Amino acid sequence: MSSRNGRILLGLVAVCLLVGAGYVVAAALGPDETTTKARPHSAGAALAKTDLMVRAVDPSNPRLNGRVYEINDGKVKRRSGDLACERVYYAAGRGICMGVAPSGVDYRAQIFDSQLRPLHEIALTGFPSRARVSTDGRYGAMTVFVSGDSYLQSPSAFSTRTTILNMKSGAQVAQLEQFAVTKDGKPFDAVDFNFWGITFVPGDSNRFYATLGTGGSHYLVEGDVAARSMRVLRDGVECPSLSPDGKQIAYKSRLGDGEEWRLRVLDVKTLDDHALAETRSIDDQVEWLDNETIVYAYGNDLYAVPADGGGEPQLLVRDASSPVRLSSGF
Amino acid sequence: MYQVEASKVLLKPRLWAARSARLRVPRNVVMLGLVSLLTDVSSEMVATVLPLYLIFSLGASPLVFGAIDGTYRGAAALVQVASGFASDRWRRPKGVAGLGYGLSAVGKVALVTVGNTLGGIGAIVAVDRIGKGIRTAPRDALISLSSAKDRLATSFGVHRAMDSAGAMLGPLLAFGILFLAPARFDAVFVVSTLFAVLGLAVLILNVQGKPDRAPRDEAAPKLRAALRLVVEPRFAPLLIAAAGLSVASISDAMIYVGLQRSINFDPALFPLLYVMTAIAFMGLAIPVGQLADRIGKVPVLLAGQALLFVTYGVLMMSSVGYLALALCLLALGGYFAATEGVLTALAGALLPETLQASGIGLLITVISLGRLLSSVLFGALWFTVGMQSAVVIFAVALIVAIALAAPLLHRAQRLAPNE
Repeated sequence: MSSRNGRILLGLVAVCLLVGAGYVVAAALGPDETTTKARPHSAGAALAKTDLMVRAVDPSNPRLNGRVYEINDGKVKRRSGDLACERVYYAAGRGICMGVAPSGVDYRAQIFDSQLRPLHEIALTGFPSRARVSTDGRYGAMTVFVSGDSYLQSPSAFSTRTTILNMKSGAQVAQLEQFAVTKDGKPFDAVDFNFWGITFVPGDSNRFYATLGTGGSHYLVEGDVAARSMRVLRDGVECPSLSPDGKQIAYKSRLGDGEEWRLRVLDVKTLDDHALAETRSIDDQVEWLDNETIVYAYGNDLYAVPADGGGEPQLLVRDASSPVRLSSGF
Repeated sequence: MYQVEASKVLLKPRLWAARSARLRVPRNVVMLGLVSLLTDVSSEMVATVLPLYLIFSLGASPLVFGAIDGTYRGAAALVQVASGFASDRWRRPKGVAGLGYGLSAVGKVALVTVGNTLGGIGAIVAVDRIGKGIRTAPRDALISLSSAKDRLATSFGVHRAMDSAGAMLGPLLAFGILFLAPARFDAVFVVSTLFAVLGLAVLILNVQGKPDRAPRDEAAPKLRAALRLVVEPRFAPLLIAAAGLSVASISDAMIYVGLQRSINFDPALFPLLYVMTAIAFMGLAIPVGQLADRIGKVPVLLAGQALLFVTYGVLMMSSVGYLALALCLLALGGYFAATEGVLTALAGALLPETLQASGIGLLITVISLGRLLSSVLFGALWFTVGMQSAVVIFAVALIVAIALAAPLLHRAQRLAPNE
């Protein structure tokens, strides 16, 4: 190496150090970019009957944590507190808010009370996907996408992890992977088991429904928290959601092997099901506005459609996701 | 031949200790190590945050990331062979390697400027993979041609240690930046670009393109000569042994998954397994390389392969304690230190100077395809007969592969040109 080359390299190192350090410092001093200031906009009249809790979506950056809003008589109200999340659920004085941690590289869940005050914080091992709270506020359920432990399918495929929480203490009650599963009365187990999308039975928080993915099938399972057991009911049901009266389950039904779904509703007693008037692909765990209507996110907005298969989808709220029915207000 | 050397070493441990204390490595090898270190800092920074960036900033589903990442595996393998031959044919290993490093640097610049669409990211990942495929064979040929034949394994050990140091620093730096400036992925990309540019600059300014052993007066090799390497009596046994050993070895990713299932520890600690293995690899690469130069590359290579049995033993345990886990990861690091670099050093010693890059390109391709096949096979076995049975089947296959590789490698080395 000639000394000229050495001087060039030294100069280059100095320039790179200055530019790099300067850029990082400027970025560090800039505004917090994990949370958006976006707010939802009411668009439909059907809301007059039911109050909703939603999360604001920033259309230019939908994955940023969104503030929690309440929609009351069709009017959008910002709740106090600085709670911001990617997925939210609430029932009987306890809520779950899953989102990006302040570090910007980790995810966390917060358990909050009726004033949106964070009570407990839980580190998440993957990207937030689904959240639910039992109607009595006793148990919560969270599903995250985890990378790294599903090499069996493909080197970088994602798997899911679903946890049940004690909403009073914030402690983990169980992971669904630890439950014993039966199918047709016989024990059922495989290394590629994935669970997601819990829905608790209204009025009986010990019982729940969820999805078990294995070997290309997506089974509806019925579970018992105390007994730590689940049994397979039928195939082709993802992200189940029980109606307020517990008689029907709205779910997404996969078309072929791809990432495309249609919403359907099944009868819990007979397991008979029917299609809904929504013909677009919906990837959400839907919520029920009442026993006749479901609400779900499509794109950056919320839509409602009748559960009996009639009618047509109706735009409810712009720039919102993660709808929660507030049965008795706050 | 190596056995005589080995007994000499045993008789004179003090002399050996004195010699190993002075680590004489050609300047060019250290510079190439520095290029790899800087480039690995750059690419690992991006690789660490890319899944987060796609999902967090671009709103992609986590499943999209798997598709983008998986698309370009395998394509790099074919590029390696072509770039190896091109480097020999034009006798420009530095130029061809520079093209590969340059492509990756351009990819990083593109990430800063146009990396805000899924299609853009896909193209950038493709360019980066191709760049990596292009540079590997000519860079290893340069390391080989810069080293005396009896110091090859040490040189590769030094290079691999520096390379993995970069791969460990990258994620640390990326997380450090995101900790200071949450969600500012652009800052990570800018710093990554600067490291890529520095790596390229060290290559251009400080790496000698025509090192000591580089061919000078010989005619440029024809394609037929490069293709004939596959049946060449010295090199073909090496390729066959490398193929057998890599197919019969359970990939590290599978070992980590297996460990996770036996230990059932917090998945958030999963990356620690990689880090601990990388630390063991980094610490062992140089001493193992020196050992290979002293007692012979073949016995060190075979002993390194045999270290896998330690990890298999731990995988078979019903519950794994922290001591067993540490032992397992140490053995895995030792396996890495004693196999890929030593195998490449062996190839460097066997190959004619005019065909170094072509031969190394072939070897790396055989190894990476072998590992890919191994992952698929192990995954299928795990799914059908369970993990423990799959490990037993692979252990038996590895015994067979080592038993077949030993005579092949000895034969190849006996036919090697005199040192």
